[in-house]
Amino acid sequence: MTTVATHSEAAAHAHVDDRSFLRKYIFSTDHKIIGIQFLLMSLLFLLVGGTLAMIIRWQQGYPGQAMPGAGVLPETMAADGIILPEFYNSLVTMHGTFMVFFAIMPLLVGVFGNYLIPLKIGAADMAFPRINMASFWIAVPAGILMIVGFFVEGGHAAAGWTGYAPLSAVPEYTGVSLGQQIWCVSLIVLGLSSILGSMNYISTVINLRAPGMTWFRLPLSIWALFITAILVLLAMPILSGALIMLLFDQVLGTHFFLPAQGGQPLLWQHLFWFFGHPEVYILILPAMGFVSDIIANGSRKPIFGYHSMVFAIAAIGFLGWMVWGHHMFQSGMNPTLGTSFMISTMLIAVPSAIKTFNWLGTLWGGSIRFHVPMLHALAFVSMFVIGGLSGVFMASTPVDIYIHDTYFIVAHIHYVLFGGSLFALFAAITFWYPKMFGKLMSPRLGKLHFWLTFIFYNMTFFPMHQLGLQGHMRRIYDPTVYQFLDHLGGLNRFITISAFLLFASQLIFAYSFIAGWFRGEKAPENPWDDTGLEWTTPSPPPHGNWPETPTVHHPPYEFSSPLARDGDFLPQTREVKPLPDPAPTSTPADTPASR
Amino acid sequence: MSHPAHAMTHGDAMHPPVKAEFGSGVYTEKLGMWVFLLSEVMFFTALIGSYLILRFSRPDAWPAGGPQEVLNIPVTAVNTFLLICSSVTMVKAYAAAADGKLNLLPLWLLATTLIGATFVGVQAYEYTELVTHGFGPSSGLFGSTFYTMTGFHGFHVSMGVICMAYVTLRAFRGKYSATDHRGVEVIGLYWHFVDLVWIILFTIVYLI
Amino acid sequence: MAEASTTTHSHPRYFLIWFYLAALTAIEIWVAQIGSWSRMFVILTLVFLAVWKALLVALYFMHLKYEGRQIKLMVVAPLPLAVILILAVLQEFR
Repeated sequence: MTTVATHSEAAAHAHVDDRSFLRKYIFSTDHKIIGIQFLLMSLLFLLVGGTLAMIIRWQQGYPGQAMPGAGVLPETMAADGIILPEFYNSLVTMHGTFMVFFAIMPLLVGVFGNYLIPLKIGAADMAFPRINMASFWIAVPAGILMIVGFFVEGGHAAAGWTGYAPLSAVPEYTGVSLGQQIWCVSLIVLGLSSILGSMNYISTVINLRAPGMTWFRLPLSIWALFITAILVLLAMPILSGALIMLLFDQVLGTHFFLPAQGGQPLLWQHLFWFFGHPEVYILILPAMGFVSDIIANGSRKPIFGYHSMVFAIAAIGFLGWMVWGHHMFQSGMNPTLGTSFMISTMLIAVPSAIKTFNWLGTLWGGSIRFHVPMLHALAFVSMFVIGGLSGVFMASTPVDIYIHDTYFIVAHIHYVLFGGSLFALFAAITFWYPKMFGKLMSPRLGKLHFWLTFIFYNMTFFPMHQLGLQGHMRRIYDPTVYQFLDHLGGLNRFITISAFLLFASQLIFAYSFIAGWFRGEKAPENPWDDTGLEWTTPSPPPHGNWPETPTVHHPPYEFSSPLARDGDFLPQTREVKPLPDPAPTSTPADTPASR
Repeated sequence: MSHPAHAMTHGDAMHPPVKAEFGSGVYTEKLGMWVFLLSEVMFFTALIGSYLILRFSRPDAWPAGGPQEVLNIPVTAVNTFLLICSSVTMVKAYAAAADGKLNLLPLWLLATTLIGATFVGVQAYEYTELVTHGFGPSSGLFGSTFYTMTGFHGFHVSMGVICMAYVTLRAFRGKYSATDHRGVEVIGLYWHFVDLVWIILFTIVYLI
Repeated sequence: MAEASTTTHSHPRYFLIWFYLAALTAIEIWVAQIGSWSRMFVILTLVFLAVWKALLVALYFMHLKYEGRQIKLMVVAPLPLAVILILAVLQEFR
């Protein structure tokens, strides 16, 4: 349970597995099963979030027109197939909520944190396997509760995923009462799951690394997950506190955010964004980590500037605490405070830029393998640059005054979250699917899915920059009531149709994901010729991962290494005799020369 | 308590054998509890920080003569002293385990559990008194912040009492030894943390 | 305050710390009811006393004084964040 498993214990783990079905697959303490449980749950919520987006896009593309299939919606949501304005507010709120909290965050951290950390550091499991199981089974009721919110009287939360008070605190303002409370409770419960998970990840990475796995031999995916876990640990409790205060304003008659009795609406915004900004780095750092692993693999070269990559991740994690006010430039906050946030926000572009140059440096001169994960990883780099650049515009307070709460912001969000995080997730899922399920996904379907997604994704979200600059506001039900937006109807329809095609393209991924289980080719131990520790155990790995704790001898990305004997890569655990010294005054070959 | 170097090379649960990449220098359960406590620091920061900000922005929402106009300082002062006593009994329990005095261990733990439960009881009594005198969570900013901060602290103490009772039972059943009393040390850390938060709360909520 | 020996560990003097904590609490209550001091001075003194008590609990009861650098560094880490949050938001209400 704590440290190095003795040889016999580990062997017993790996060879004798007499757990019941319930203990093996449902209430499992095995990090790999828990990771897969999070995967299935999160993909479901990704579908929910995507469906909500389709309804949003219908209303934006064809405002006031009956939506095909809306007949199934109750009268509280749609009248004669036309989406109601009150329901529209819930739609935008719940799209954001589900995507951020129940899809992207658990996919990045819950799935890959769980699956990869023990495997890539050489541990048999997480530091606290039972708490890990609790972490998943606490997230499940949070998710169920969030779904239930759609079916209660008054409808679901409708104050935006940012839940600004007093809009979110006073039922009369939104018409929503119970739904808003459910939103608070669900997120508080999910927060507990996240905090327990992050505690586990941090403890595991610090204490359970295999011999030889020093800090600077950790793959960047693990560094990223580790720093992310620290952000989760310290940021989520702030949100929990704020949500509790909001809930109390809603039900207990407290006045934290209600101005009439002396409360401060700005306090909510500060608390929310003090959490919210580290949250967006939580949503991108693991993605960057996966992309680093995959780009090194696909380029058959070590990551360019490994140490600066680590420091960049740490710098982003650190600076991320000091920029939250850039979400509040228009709030009426103290202008001097605003200026300090502008400066810190501009600064934080630097470590991200360092990472981008390092990815390019890795690709340069590489022998590129365009496998499906590599395609998604390359898309990540380019799309993240676009999203990051729009961020630099927004960082400038005078510019943000103009584009705040317009579709320019929506474009930025989706370039970093979809163009960034989601492409990285497609990369990571296709890369580690063989290890998880012991089967290969179809490369043909993978490439088809990639190209369709990439094209329709850009067609959907790039025009939103233009919408925003033309003044199209966020979260509005019907753009046609504003004369100055009249000329944008065509663009909105274009975006809507692209979005429908984008959504439809995901069916290819869904099919490929499920078909791979049944019809996929059996996966070998190391289908990608990768150097990580997870590729030195069967696909899928047995309970306990290895019969004996592995020993690490090399840094993480030894591709095209001169020491590689078979293949063009050196697994981290491979023991090799060093090459003889080529200089004439060489020492005998059997003198140990450690790297 | 520093661990002499040679103890590290002998394997036991509290002093794992020196392993190359054992980063924190402490056994994993203790690391895990410290990490968890950091999240609790941030949680109470949100609540206490909000209180400080609200009080600073609207000092007129608090009684002119200070909190003692509404709150019962003498009773809470005694309660504070009780919680400090429970921290002492807790650390004596840990010391008993470390010294191998396994007959004393469950008694110190029992004392901690009972004093902790008393603290919660007194808090609950204080709440009922305040509410019957018309001071509740909806009583302005003072009521909002008072009940939220002390309420969540009380909730944390209650969770601590439950866990403490469990650890006490295990101690009576002889589950801890001089070489392995991780559970005692870990619940101790949580308990002291809860005491520490109260030390801060008592000062800034009741006295200032 | 204590050196660990090989078998029986010697501990910090817990009852002495207890006495300090009790005394500091009593002093706090006395300071709080002094009418003649300026409010700012009362606040500063009370905060100082509370921090002193908190440090006693953290360093001696939680044995932080005897832990390695890694643990100490970890524990200190969230404190600047708390300070940044509170100080920054206080600027809103000057």
